[in-house]
Amino acid sequence: MATRKMLTGNYAAAYGAKLARVEVFPAFPITPQTPVMEKIVEFIENGELDAEFIPMESEHSVMAAAVAAEAMGARTFTATSSQGLLYMHENLFVASGIRLPVVMAIVNRVVGPPNTVLNDLSDSLDQRDTSWIQIYVENAQEVLDMIPQAYRIGEDERVLLPVAICFEGIIISHYMEPVEILDQDKVDHFLPPYRPKQVVLDPDRPMSLGQIVMDDTYITEMKYQQQEAMDRSKAVIREVDEAFGDAFGRWYGGLFAAEWIDGAEVVLLTLGSLASTVRAVVKQLRDEAGLPIGFVKLRAFRPFPAQELRDCLSHVKAAVVLEKGVSIGAGGPVFLDLSHCLNRRDRMPLLIDYIVGLGGRDVTFEEVRNIALTVFEERHADSITNPVRWHQVRGL
Amino acid sequence: MSEWKQVGPDAQKRYTYQELPIGDASIGMPSERRKTGLWRYLRPRFVRRFSPCSEACPAGNDVEGFLAFAQQGRYGEALDTLLGESPLPGVCGRVCFHPCESACNRGAFDEAVSIQGLERFVADGEPTSLPVPGPSRKEKVAIIGSGPAGLTCAYHLRRLGYEVTVFEKQAVLGGMLRLGIPTYRLPRSVLDREIDRILSLGVKVETGCRVGHDIPWEHLLTWDAVFLAAGAHAALSLGIPGDSAQEVISGTAWLEAVNLGRPVSVGSRVGIIGGGNTAVDCARAALRLGSNPVIVYRRTRNEMPAMEAEIEEALQEGIEIQWLTSPIAVRRRNGKLVGLECIRNRLCKPEPGGRARPEPIDGTEFVMEIDTVISAVGETVEEAYLPPGLKGEQEGAVWVDSWGRTSLPGLWAGGDVATDPRMVVHAIGAGKRAALSIHASFTGEDLVELGRRLRTGAKGAFSIDRYLNDDLPGVELVNEVVGPDHLNLHYAEPLERAALPRLDADQRVRDFSEVNLGCDEQRARAEAQRCFRCGECRGCGNCYVFCPDGSVLFDPSAHEFRIDYEYCKGCGVCGNECPTGAIVMTAEGEV
Amino acid sequence: MINNPRDALFKEDYFHPGHPLCPGCPGGMALRWIMKVLGRDSIANVGATCLCLPTHVYPHSLEIPSLYIAMAPSPAGISGMSAAIRILKRKGVIPAEKRITVFAISGDGSTADIGMAALSGAAERNDDGLYFCFDNEAYMNTGIQRSSTTPQFSWTFSTTKGKVQRKKDLPKIMAAHDIPYVATLSVAYPEDFVRKVEKARDMGPGFKYFQIHGPCPTGWRFPEHKTVEVARLAVETGFWSLYEVVHGSFNITYRPRKRLPVVDYVKLQGRFQGLTAQDIRTLQNWVDEKEEGPGS
Repeated sequence: MATRKMLTGNYAAAYGAKLARVEVFPAFPITPQTPVMEKIVEFIENGELDAEFIPMESEHSVMAAAVAAEAMGARTFTATSSQGLLYMHENLFVASGIRLPVVMAIVNRVVGPPNTVLNDLSDSLDQRDTSWIQIYVENAQEVLDMIPQAYRIGEDERVLLPVAICFEGIIISHYMEPVEILDQDKVDHFLPPYRPKQVVLDPDRPMSLGQIVMDDTYITEMKYQQQEAMDRSKAVIREVDEAFGDAFGRWYGGLFAAEWIDGAEVVLLTLGSLASTVRAVVKQLRDEAGLPIGFVKLRAFRPFPAQELRDCLSHVKAAVVLEKGVSIGAGGPVFLDLSHCLNRRDRMPLLIDYIVGLGGRDVTFEEVRNIALTVFEERHADSITNPVRWHQVRGL
Repeated sequence: MSEWKQVGPDAQKRYTYQELPIGDASIGMPSERRKTGLWRYLRPRFVRRFSPCSEACPAGNDVEGFLAFAQQGRYGEALDTLLGESPLPGVCGRVCFHPCESACNRGAFDEAVSIQGLERFVADGEPTSLPVPGPSRKEKVAIIGSGPAGLTCAYHLRRLGYEVTVFEKQAVLGGMLRLGIPTYRLPRSVLDREIDRILSLGVKVETGCRVGHDIPWEHLLTWDAVFLAAGAHAALSLGIPGDSAQEVISGTAWLEAVNLGRPVSVGSRVGIIGGGNTAVDCARAALRLGSNPVIVYRRTRNEMPAMEAEIEEALQEGIEIQWLTSPIAVRRRNGKLVGLECIRNRLCKPEPGGRARPEPIDGTEFVMEIDTVISAVGETVEEAYLPPGLKGEQEGAVWVDSWGRTSLPGLWAGGDVATDPRMVVHAIGAGKRAALSIHASFTGEDLVELGRRLRTGAKGAFSIDRYLNDDLPGVELVNEVVGPDHLNLHYAEPLERAALPRLDADQRVRDFSEVNLGCDEQRARAEAQRCFRCGECRGCGNCYVFCPDGSVLFDPSAHEFRIDYEYCKGCGVCGNECPTGAIVMTAEGEV
Repeated sequence: MINNPRDALFKEDYFHPGHPLCPGCPGGMALRWIMKVLGRDSIANVGATCLCLPTHVYPHSLEIPSLYIAMAPSPAGISGMSAAIRILKRKGVIPAEKRITVFAISGDGSTADIGMAALSGAAERNDDGLYFCFDNEAYMNTGIQRSSTTPQFSWTFSTTKGKVQRKKDLPKIMAAHDIPYVATLSVAYPEDFVRKVEKARDMGPGFKYFQIHGPCPTGWRFPEHKTVEVARLAVETGFWSLYEVVHGSFNITYRPRKRLPVVDYVKLQGRFQGLTAQDIRTLQNWVDEKEEGPGS
C-alpha cells in the first residue's frame, strides 16, 4: 500500500531507487547529494533493498563502475552533484556511447569557483552534450516518481540511453515535503526487472564494448544511432508518463507541462523548482489582472522538445525563459536551445532570457512578477537589443 | 530492434547505421580476417641443420639421430640409426678417438655429451631391424683387406646390391681391429658380432689369400671394381745404431702375435719407443704379460698422438713414460741387449701447422737398463706388392682423390693404405666413401651432386642411409652446422657428464679383460638427456608458447609445430628462443 | 613429444591472431597466456594500453566479453563487474555455481599514473578480480613518453636526455594495500607466469595485482626478435625480480643462478644508448640495493 511520509528530496530519490529495485549502487559523497547515498546504504544494510553498494574513491570511478555494472546487466543507480558530476564527465560519454541505461540523480549545485553548496543548474546543464537524457523536476514527489520512470525510459529498447533526474540542492534535496511512497507491487508491475538483450557482457555471447574505431568507418553512424534513440525517447517519455499516470494517478506532462497556453500572448518558461513560483505568478496575473500569460514547465532538457515547443509557442508574441544557469558569452542554455527551434520565417515570438538564481540566490514571487510584467509591455516590439538579461546583478 | 548483430571488417561494404549493432560494440568477430602475415619481411622456417657431432664424425654417423632415440629409451632404433651409416658401432663405441665429442656444443656449456659411451651402450643391444642387401646388380667388386675400411665398403656395397668378395691375407677377418687392438680395449666377441652381421649380408670372403702373391693383380683388375684397403703393416725403423738387433721388435708385429694368441716372449724390462696408440697398446699388453714396460717418447704428454684416455689408463696401471726422451743407440753386452741409450730433449717452438720439434740437449745422455725394445714409431705401406703405375704419396701411401679413386681406373683405395689419417673411424669413412663412389661409377650419378645432397656438414662426411632410403627429414635440411651461437643456452640445465666405470687398475692388469665397463641403462638414459639435439626440433614448444601472434600452431596428436604464415609477422622471437637452432629467419622472397 | 609439461600454456587459445600489435610485442604473449589460464568464462576490462589493439579495434572482438571504459578507471570496472556478478547470482540471473573471472589489464601509465587512485581504491576495497599492469615502462600507445615506471636514465620522447627519477615500485605499493595477492611477472618465464595467474584465479574473492614486465621493441629500441631475451636479462640481472606476496608474505619465485651485471641488460637497448659508466654504476647500485638491501 502506498504510504505518505515527510521526506527530503534526497530521501525521495533513495526511496525511488529502492522502489526501482536497483542492483548496483556505486557512489561517492558530495554535498548536497550525500544523504541519497546514506539512505540507500541504510536500505541495503537493513535488508530493505537487495543491492551492492560500492563506496568508490572518486566520482570518475563511480561512473566507471556504473558503466561496468550496467554492462554486466545489473540495474545501476548513482547520485552526485556539481564538481563530482564534472569529475565523472568523461565517463558520462562512455555510458551513453555504449548505450547503457544507467540512472543518476543529479542534485544540482553551483560549479565553483566561487564555491558553495547552494544550487543552480549550471552543473547538469553543462552536461547537455553527453547524450544523457536529462529530466528536471520540481519537488520531492516528482523526484521519487521519476526514478522508476527513468529506468523504464532508459531501458526501453528504442532508447537505451542513460537518464539523469535533476533536482536542486538544498531547496529540494534538504527540505521536507509530504511524499507518497509508491506501492512496491505496483512499481514492480510498472517496471519489470532489467534483463538486457542487446548490450551486455556475457561469456556465452561475447562482445567487445567501447571500441576503437580506427579508420573511416562508422563513428558518424554510431553518433546518429544515439541521435535517433534520443529522438525516439520523446515518445517513450510521453508513453511512460501516461503509463505512470494510469498506474499512480500523477501525470507530469512528459517532455514539458504547458498551462494556460490557449490565447496566451506571453509565455513564461522555466524548469526545476522555479516552476512552482512562476506558475503561481502566472496564475495570479491571469486571475487578478486578466493578463493573457501562459506557463511552460520544461522537464526534458535532453531530448530537447524543439518541435513540440515550436508548435506550442507558435501563436505567442513573446516567450520568456527563466533559468538558473548560463553559458557565459552566449546566454542561458535553455534559451539558446529554444532559439534554434523558433526558426519559422512567418511567425516567431520574441525570445527573452532571464538569468536568475545563480549561486542559489532566491528568486522571489515579486521578481518573477516584475519580469512577467516587463515582458508583457515589450510583447509587441519588432525587435529587442538585450534578449539575455542578467536580472539579479547588483549595480547593473 | 534488431537482435545482436555482427558486422564484418569489409571496407567495401558500407553498412548503414541501421545495420550496425548498437553501442560501439564488436560482436563475435575475432581478428582473424586481418592478415598480418602481409607485414612480414622475415620468414621463420622450421629446418634441420647439421649438428657439429655428426659433421665431425668421419664415418658420417647420424650422432644426433641415434641420441634422439636414446633420449626416449628407444635403443633398438638408435642402433638401427647407427647401422645405417657404419657396420662397426660396437668397435667405434670402444676404440674411436671420438671427434664428435670434441665438436659437441655442450662442451662450451659444461662438458661434451659422452657420445662414445652411448654408442657403445646402444651397440651392445639389439637392433630392431637388420640391414638388408639391395636389389641385385650385375657388377662384382673385389675388396682387398678386411679391416674397417674393407669391411665397411663390403657392407655398404652389399646394401647397394653388388656382389662383393673380400680377399684377406690373414686367416681371420678384421685387419688391424683384430691384429692391432688388444682385447682389453676391444673384446673379440664384439668384433665377431659385428663382422658376422656384415657377412650375413652375403659378403664372400677369401681368407689366407694374399693379393700379388696368391692372386695376381692382372686377374683382380679385370673385376668391375677393386677397393684396395690392405692397410699399412711395414714398421718404420728407429734409425739408430743397433736397431736391427733381434730384441728390437716391431710393435705392430708384436701386437699381432699377442692378439692372435701366438706365444710371445717379452723380457722383464721392455722399452717401447713411440707415443702413438701402438706404443701404449704394446706397453699395456706387456704389463699384462708380466713385464715392466717403459714408454720412451721424444715430446711431452701433450703431443702424444695416443688417445688421452689410453695414456691415462696406462699411467693408472703404473706404466712409466719417459717424456722428452729420444733413443740414440741400443746397448748390447755379450750379444745381449742390455740397455737403451737415450738423450733428453727440449721442445722448440712449433712450426706453423706443425707440432713442436724436439731438440736434444747435449750432455743429458743416459742409459736405460732394459732387455727388450719394441719399436712403435709408425708403419708404412708395403709398396712391393702394389700394382705398377699406381701413384703414391709420402710414406708409401697410395694417392686417392676425395672419392677414394686411385690413379688407375677401376681401382679405389682407402684406409691406412691410402692417404687417410690412420684411425678406425677414418677407415670406416673411407670404406663408405669408396662404396658410394664405386656405385656412382656404375650408375653414372654425379658425385658432386650426390655429395651435396648427402653431406652432413662441411667436413666431407655424408649419409649413405639417406641415399639408400631416400630418407630426407620432414623439414628442410639447411647446409649449415649449428654452433653455440645458434643455440639458446638459457634453456639448458647444467648436468654432470656420466662417469664411465672402468675396472680397477690393479685388477685389470692381471689379464686381458675389457677395461672399460660401459654404462648401465639408467646412466645411458641420463646421459642421452644431456644432448641438446642441435639443429633439430626437440618439441619443447617455445616457439608456440612465445609467439605473440598465436601464429605457431601445435598439433597435439602429431606433436608437430607449424607456422601460420597468414598471420606470422616475422618478429623472430620463435627463432631466438629455439633452444636447438631449428628455426631460421630468411628474408621474405628469398625462399 | 613435449618434453616440458607446461600444460596451461598449451591450453586452448582464446586470443586470436590477426591483431595489430607490433611484431615481437610482449603484450601479445602475456594476454594470450592470461586468456589461456582464465579461460572462456572470464571478462576483460581493458584500460589504456597497447593491448586495446588486440581487444578493442572495431569491428573485431575478443572471444571473451571485454569492455573499455577510459584510460584511468579499469580497476573501477572490476568493482562494478564483480558487484554486478554478485547481485545477479543472488537473483539467479547468473547461475550461482558459474565461475566468472573478472580481470583488468592496463598500461603502466594508466595504472601507476592517471589510474593510481582508482587502483588504490579497488585494492583497498578488495574488490574481486585480477588486475594486470602491463608495464612496458612508458606511454607506448601515444608514442613513447615517460611514465612513473620508466627507469632512471631511460630515453623517451619526453625525457630526451634520460629520465632523472627512478622507477616507481608499484608492486610494493600494492602489497602495502594488504590485498590477498601481489605478483610480478615476466614474459621470459612463462611457467612462473601461468602458475601465479592460476594461483590467483583459484584463490577466492579479493583483489589480486600483477605487474608484467614487458620489454617493448618499438619503445625500448631493440630488435623485435629479442623481446624474450631482454625480458630474461632484466630478471637475470635483477633489474626486474620475480616474486609474489601472498597475504602479506613475500616469496621470491625465481632466483637467477648467478646475478648478471646490469650492463648486460642495458647494452641491448637503444633507450639506454647514451649512458655513461657512472650512470651504469648508479643503476647497478640501485639493483644491488633492491636485491640485497633491507626488505629484499
